[in-house]
Amino acid sequence: MITMTDQADDTKHSAILGGIRVADLTTGSFNYAGRLLAGLGAEVIKLETLDGDPLRQWGPFRNDEENVETGGRHLHLDAGKRSVSVDLETSEGQSIVKDIITDCDIVLESFDPGYLDTIGLSFESLVSSKTDLIMVSMSHFGQSGPYKDYHGSEIVDVAIGGYLRLTGEPDREPVKPYDDLVIQHTALHAATAAMVGIMHRDNTGEGDWFDVAVIDAALFLIGGPTQSYFFDGKVAQRNGNRLLTTEPRYLYPSTIRPCLDGYVHAHGNNRNQDLLAALMPGIGLETLFETPMGNADEIDEIMDTWLSTRDKFEVVTLAQELRLPFTEVLTPEEILADPHLEERNFLVKLEHPLEPSLLQPGQAALMSETPWINRRAPLIGEDTDEILEELLGMNENDRTDLRNKGVIR
Amino acid sequence: MTAQALNKIRVLELTTAVAGPVAGCVLADMGAEVIKIESPGGRSIRSPGAPPPIQGAPDHPYNRTPFFNELHRGKKLLSLDLKHPEGKDIFVRLVENADVVMENFSPKIVGRLGIDYAELKKIKDDIICVSMPAFGKTGPYESRASYGPGIDAMSGLSHLTGYPDRGPGKPAQFYCDQNAGLTAALTVMGAIRHRNRTGQGQYIELAMLEGEMQLIAPALMEVIMNSRSPNRIGNKHERFAPQGVYKCKGENAWVAITVRSDSEWQSLTELMGNPELANDHRFSDLRARQAHHDDIDKLIESWTSTLTQEQAEGIIQAAGIPAGALLNLNEAFTHQQFLHRNTLVHVEHPEMGTFPHTRTAWRSRNNNDGVSGPAPTFGNANSYVLTDLLNFSAEDQQKLKDRKIVSDAPLG
Repeated sequence: MITMTDQADDTKHSAILGGIRVADLTTGSFNYAGRLLAGLGAEVIKLETLDGDPLRQWGPFRNDEENVETGGRHLHLDAGKRSVSVDLETSEGQSIVKDIITDCDIVLESFDPGYLDTIGLSFESLVSSKTDLIMVSMSHFGQSGPYKDYHGSEIVDVAIGGYLRLTGEPDREPVKPYDDLVIQHTALHAATAAMVGIMHRDNTGEGDWFDVAVIDAALFLIGGPTQSYFFDGKVAQRNGNRLLTTEPRYLYPSTIRPCLDGYVHAHGNNRNQDLLAALMPGIGLETLFETPMGNADEIDEIMDTWLSTRDKFEVVTLAQELRLPFTEVLTPEEILADPHLEERNFLVKLEHPLEPSLLQPGQAALMSETPWINRRAPLIGEDTDEILEELLGMNENDRTDLRNKGVIR
Repeated sequence: MTAQALNKIRVLELTTAVAGPVAGCVLADMGAEVIKIESPGGRSIRSPGAPPPIQGAPDHPYNRTPFFNELHRGKKLLSLDLKHPEGKDIFVRLVENADVVMENFSPKIVGRLGIDYAELKKIKDDIICVSMPAFGKTGPYESRASYGPGIDAMSGLSHLTGYPDRGPGKPAQFYCDQNAGLTAALTVMGAIRHRNRTGQGQYIELAMLEGEMQLIAPALMEVIMNSRSPNRIGNKHERFAPQGVYKCKGENAWVAITVRSDSEWQSLTELMGNPELANDHRFSDLRARQAHHDDIDKLIESWTSTLTQEQAEGIIQAAGIPAGALLNLNEAFTHQQFLHRNTLVHVEHPEMGTFPHTRTAWRSRNNNDGVSGPAPTFGNANSYVLTDLLNFSAEDQQKLKDRKIVSDAPLG
């Protein structure tokens, strides 16, 4: 386990985005974009309402008791950020946010398209005071086009994005991916776009406005079936745990099957299908490999018999010895208890004042010369005073006045 | 042609499967010169059933794998035997002229080929190297082999995907691969920026498992905070109810709906012609609706089944509630919003003709070219690399080909 102090004191390295300041106006799982930039060392200022980002109301909470400072999602997705709490519905709040953005390199936002325009914070108006601004707007359907004002959610976006029909069992209704999988993937695209913007600005001095849409991220995740359709005209359909192809000669298995104590991910060796028959010898698998995908049901049946008397760890150990890429299907509890994560110091303790000993996920990447920054998530408005003073030169009287008027917290 | 963020950046890509190629494809889309190095023996994801060549094109089925070509759009292809000392020498000279070396082989293969960071740094001090091991370069699973779906299994994602009353599931085609690929592209760009500012290269280790754990975090936190291991919840949502997919009129027709608040629930009951449901104590607030979710689902479905999925989407959206018809892939391709966003870019391939490529999820004013070109045919950059970059004579190139160190077509 690594504590915050170990990494923050690591002064021999300067972070990749050291000196880059980001205004983060996103909500929900879109917050992952700012989390990534904070991990790379940007100063990310979370601009949130007086009640805090609604993300904070979304659990898990310890003992199921809601606490906007210590929700699991907030602690994870806001790690490394600072917080300024300001009411965007007031003109003074809008002016503060505009002034902060003018001192930033990047703005991340996920409002309904057009909303920022109504409060005087459109890209055009921001860029007039900060000409090389990089703005990254995330939305369900995009900033323009016939669906821009449609109402989105993870399940709705993946429905329209062609993704939802591809998940689930053929004999059942389509089922959505886990949690906010595609929204969080969209946020990863957004962080990458922000980095593209920085590279472009380094080269040219120009800013840019990036329009990132969840439906696009859904289609991006689908990959191959999109291209195959244009050649064979076959529209991919959900296929349980099998890959989305009906080509009988395609490699099989790549699937999940039950074993003695749970499930394993079973996978053939791309270069040597006979290895699977070597793992499960003498039960007739070798006769089915001419058209593995075409014989998938038969292969499942034979594998299931063999698997039913072995536990998942035994199966995976035997398979991996033969270079068959089998793995155990683990529950979150099991992977957390696994020595692998501990040995890699993946879980970090970030010394949050209200959760001092809580462990949470750490790095998305390890870099040899630049740190991945893990710092605890901020309390609501924790940095309001400091940032208003530092960036906007507001003295204590100004701030008290704004606080009394309910503009900041 | 607008400016490109990664102009003049050269990337050597030694990758297999999906995650590594995705990373290279994003860098190529943004203007980098990406040279993929393949063994003369051929490639790993050349799937069976290649579509026919276009008229007049040579019949090279190995150049016509749709997914391979999607993942390698805009790249160059050098076919080079790295196991041969002379092949390795060529690689070394290329590294001298490159900014980034990216690989997603298993750690064992990297060691055997002698292309790990310590070796490459000796060749070029400020080189940036990226590894994308499944589980990491340390830890008990360092040497385990796995593709993306196998990592989904170990991360908990499979356990958390699917129907509560059935076994673990798989989200569409892949998740882990694209997640790792984009994260690699993000950190590589960051490392380039760091090098440009400090002159210092570095090594990036991107364990695919750890990238995926960023998504699984809410479930992990539930275990850590409450010692409770969460299960899959199908189409339901932790904070919104009802949410689900509901049958519509016609064969295989569904609409997805999310009700985000009590007032949206009230609006929906009005649309359903059943406004008294809003006063039903079983459905009065989020908790009540979650407790009686199955009852609500039946009521909603009895209404949506009288509508086509497009009608349902239109009516529900008009009331301000998120709703979407479940489009088949081919319907998504011609959907007006995707057309508006030019999400699919049609690029002409010399042997397959014109077909669409899926862009990253961003559009912008200055970095908006999307896809920079078609996928390369096998060994299409052999001559570019050997002649233009490394000044090999025609005679020496022929010798390399005779000895199968470089090849213009897959051997064997």
